[in-house]
Amino acid sequence: MTAHTAAGKLQGLAEDAPWYEAAFVTGITNALNVVADGLAEVLPPLDDATAGDATAVFAEIRAFHGGLVPAPFGALARDPAYLADVWAAWRRAFSDQRLTRRLKTALAFAVSLTTRSSFGTRFHLAELRRLGVGERGVMEVIGVTQMFSSYTKIADTLQLDSDMGAIAPVDRSPAPGH
Amino acid sequence: MPTVRLRDADEYPDATRKMFELSSQWFAYDFKQPPAMSRVMAWDPEFGAPHGRAMKRAMGPGEFTRAEKEMVAAVVSGVNACSY
Repeated sequence: MTAHTAAGKLQGLAEDAPWYEAAFVTGITNALNVVADGLAEVLPPLDDATAGDATAVFAEIRAFHGGLVPAPFGALARDPAYLADVWAAWRRAFSDQRLTRRLKTALAFAVSLTTRSSFGTRFHLAELRRLGVGERGVMEVIGVTQMFSSYTKIADTLQLDSDMGAIAPVDRSPAPGH
Repeated sequence: MPTVRLRDADEYPDATRKMFELSSQWFAYDFKQPPAMSRVMAWDPEFGAPHGRAMKRAMGPGEFTRAEKEMVAAVVSGVNACSY
C-alpha cells in the first residue's frame, strides 16, 4: 500500500486530500458489502410500503443511484435513524470532491472484487457503466486489481518491508477548517 | 524482516541492471537501490518480465490515468492488508 500511495503522489496526486477520500470510499464500501453479503439471505430489504420513516431516505438514495435503492440500504431501513447516517456518510464518500465519483466508483469496484463481495462487485460494476466507463476502463480496473493482488501476496509471502514511503512528497497543509 | 536476502543491484547481471533503470523511470524517482519488489521480480526474469509487462499494460493511461490507477492499486493493497 505504501508503494502505491507514494507512486500515486509522485504521479501527481501529491496532496493528502485525495488519499483521505480514497480511504473513506474503501471503508464505507466494505461496510455496505459486509451487510449486503452477510444478510442477503436472512434479512430481506424493506421497500416503500414497509420502510415507514425511511422512505424519505430511499428517495434520496434513488436520486443518487439512478432510481435504485441498493439492497443493503433496504435492510438497514429497520432503523431509519441509523440508515440516515450510513446513507449520509455513503453519499459524502461517493460525491465529487477532489476525486470524481467515477474514480471513487472504480475504487469501490476494485475493493469489492478484491474482497470477493458478490453484492459490491455487481453493484459497483453497474454503477461504473452507468457513469460512462466503457469496457476498456472496466478491464483497466480489473487488470490493476488482479496484478496488485499478485504483488501484494508476493510481498507478504517474503515479508518485504516497505521501502518506498519516504519517496513521496509530504503535504504540510493544515487540517480542513484550520 | 524479509524471509530472503534481497540482492543488491550490483549482484544482478548487466541485463537485469538495465531493467532496474526502468524502475527509476517508472516511479520517476532515482533510487539508491531498486525497490525491493523490483529486485524480487528480477530473480526470475521468465516470471518477472511477463508479470511486469502485464502490470505496465494494466497501469498505462487509458480511460483512467496512471495516478488514478496507482490509487486503485493502493486500495487493493489496503484491503489485502499489505503494508508494502
